[in-house]
Amino acid sequence: MNDFDLDALFAAARAGRRDTSKAEYGFETRMLARLRSQRQAQGDTGSVWAMVSWRMIPLFAACVMALAVWHSQVAALADDAEAFNSVEHPETADLFSN
Amino acid sequence: MVSEACPDETLVEATLAGDDDAYAELTRRHKSRVFGVASRFARDAAELEDICQEVFVQAYFKLRQYRRDSPFQHWLMRITTHKCYDYLRKRQRSAFTSSIESMLESGHEPAAPESAAPHPDLERLHAALAALSTKERLVITLLELEDRSVQEIAELTGWSVANVKVRAFRARAALRKHLESRP
Repeated sequence: MNDFDLDALFAAARAGRRDTSKAEYGFETRMLARLRSQRQAQGDTGSVWAMVSWRMIPLFAACVMALAVWHSQVAALADDAEAFNSVEHPETADLFSN
Repeated sequence: MVSEACPDETLVEATLAGDDDAYAELTRRHKSRVFGVASRFARDAAELEDICQEVFVQAYFKLRQYRRDSPFQHWLMRITTHKCYDYLRKRQRSAFTSSIESMLESGHEPAAPESAAPHPDLERLHAALAALSTKERLVITLLELEDRSVQEIAELTGWSVANVKVRAFRARAALRKHLESRP
């Protein structure tokens, strides 16, 4: 098959466009119905997430409080270690103080 | 207030403000072109409807990304092209290679117009197109059946002009080989 034959085939296929008028009839209505159902589904998903997040607030608050307690304990230990270090090794304590 | 005289950009603004009637009008204006392109790739009427609905639904949810630096129709055709490509890829993934014969046997409508008499050469062409890779089929369909320029295809697909040319060349060669092997 040469290029000329192939081009002739393409031309015939180009001319034979499928009639979509039947499929197009009432398309807007069907598309809007699908759009509304998807918006509804997205809204439902959003509200589920909002509800879950709202219910998780006590857990988040407990986590924050636990972190605060842990941080204060670690800070106290660090202070003790620094005080101990300055007594045992005054030269390194000077290094840190500078 | 939606009227037929409203430019597309006004309807886009109204849609973004929550006016569904404005989007219905936009859909009414552009559906023929979307159906025209999608019908080149859809296997049957149900798939055609599905592709077109997905195009307009996706366009609705991405409407805020429309930058208004080109006509709305160009933006919509890019979405249509990508959606058709997705459908072709999905079909290939499911290892479904359709031919005109199998479509007719299963009661599906062929891609050729229903009113036209079935032409054996066109059936061969459609079978050969179905045997191409997804990207080659997309390029050759847009170039030869939709009569788009290489530049337009590059814009629609997001590929470079050189890439489109190479794919079109390979697709033509593969088509010719396929048609010669099955006279």
